[in-house]
Amino acid sequence: MRYVVIGSSASGINGAKTLRELDKDAEIILISKDEQVYSRCILHHYISGIRDIKALNFSGEDYFEKYNIRWINGVEVIKLDDEEQIIELSNKQSIKYDKVLIASGASPFIPPIENLRKANNIIGLRNLDDAQEIKKAIDHIKNVVVLGAGLVGIDAVAGLVDYGLNITVVEMADRILAMQLDHYAASKYEKLFNEKGVNFKLGVKAEKLIIDDGNNPKELIINTGEGIPCDLIIVATGVRSNINFLKDSQVETNKFGLIFNAKGQTNVENIYGAGDVSGKNPIWPTAVKEGIIAANNMAGNELIMTDFFGSKNTMNYLGLATMSLGKVILPDETYIEEIEKDENNYKKIIHKDGKIYGAIMQGDLSYGGILTQLIRAKIDVSKVKKPIFNIDYSDFFNIKENLEYTY
Amino acid sequence: MKRIKIDRDKCIGCLTCTTACIISHGSADNRSRVVIDSYGKYAPIFCRHCEKPECVYTCMTGAMKKNQDTGIVEYDKDHCANCFMCIMACPYGVLKPDSVEHKVIMKCDMCQGTESGSPSCVKKCPMNAITLEEV
Repeated sequence: MRYVVIGSSASGINGAKTLRELDKDAEIILISKDEQVYSRCILHHYISGIRDIKALNFSGEDYFEKYNIRWINGVEVIKLDDEEQIIELSNKQSIKYDKVLIASGASPFIPPIENLRKANNIIGLRNLDDAQEIKKAIDHIKNVVVLGAGLVGIDAVAGLVDYGLNITVVEMADRILAMQLDHYAASKYEKLFNEKGVNFKLGVKAEKLIIDDGNNPKELIINTGEGIPCDLIIVATGVRSNINFLKDSQVETNKFGLIFNAKGQTNVENIYGAGDVSGKNPIWPTAVKEGIIAANNMAGNELIMTDFFGSKNTMNYLGLATMSLGKVILPDETYIEEIEKDENNYKKIIHKDGKIYGAIMQGDLSYGGILTQLIRAKIDVSKVKKPIFNIDYSDFFNIKENLEYTY
Repeated sequence: MKRIKIDRDKCIGCLTCTTACIISHGSADNRSRVVIDSYGKYAPIFCRHCEKPECVYTCMTGAMKKNQDTGIVEYDKDHCANCFMCIMACPYGVLKPDSVEHKVIMKCDMCQGTESGSPSCVKKCPMNAITLEEV
């Protein structure tokens, strides 16, 4: 049996490892465009200089030896021939597979803003190459525009904030991290970054990039008519799935990305998918779980994905931590919003008919995981006779035979 | 693997386990706790070192790992990026950051770092409410 895994991030690394745990004798090949194994969620720590490349590795240094996996790195998959079961690589090599896991992830999308796609120094923050390019540029630039104030954009700001650059964040929403935070929680970060000299242009649209004769960016024009000086633009306005190599195959994709079911199966036998390549729920834990689940089903061990709660995240910028779960803005008047705050902490819970639908914790996140489970599993909390902010596991306490907890 | 068995009915909320935990780790914080439910009953909350550990699945640095030999979910504070995704991921609300620097995850290590290598809370519990069992 030869398993081939495409991609060396959360899904691919966990998928290949799981295949080895389930099948001691199989041949496992992992193909990656990346030359290193690294966690893309902490690339801003590489930009800021607090981590080197080695410290970005999340798989353990001896991963490929330990799990006896052949790694073909720095090579892109060009084509997947699902009839012959062959993968063609950018180095002209062809690899035959019995079963393949597609965990090829996604790439930054550069929006169609005039001149943006042809200019130099336009970088998305997704891959180590991007982070390296950004880091290299720091020495000879002064003005940076970060386009998009989602988690990737603010990660980029966090990575650059101590280099003395003139940073401007341009965002269409009226606050930063609009998917994760409400106005209050977002304003705390805006204030902290402001104090570090970061400028925010919120509720605006980028319209045109002025470039010089050498295609170097000069100024980004926004819809107010204002021009923002820039030598480098970090584009953090979303991603597109890496599915180009599937276009001549019968493998089904949609406008988001690769289609696979809760077992990781695509429409073609022996071809599985996991992670961000689906274009849905692009968060680390989902990618890890999908990789593990697909690998189990590839090895004949039936396992089904049950966790589809994807709107959850934590962040920790400038010493202020936040957890964001589910709905963070009141959907309508049938929901109830409760808020508890002091100078350093902010907690908000949105609930309705005994169920919690969303929460923000900012400041102290201690023991906050309980809320994730209550929201994900839609657990009725009306039996708990405590203030909603004090709910803990005690009212659900239940022990399984193997002494693990359950609900 | 061995897990700490919790006999909730025997717990009298004396917090000897909490104290033992703090001392065993030379820490300002506890890695386990005892909470009270809506009816005044004690509930000892201890890391279960889960078979399918959410904290491990969600760790983006590899700092949180399940040791397949011992079953213990191990945490490497030096590799941790303080993103706190594990705090969010634990369905039972076991994890928190340390209260001094707000950086290190207060994660039960079954007292692996101590001389005896076995949980101090279990040894000190006067009620036998927590015991070490092979599962």
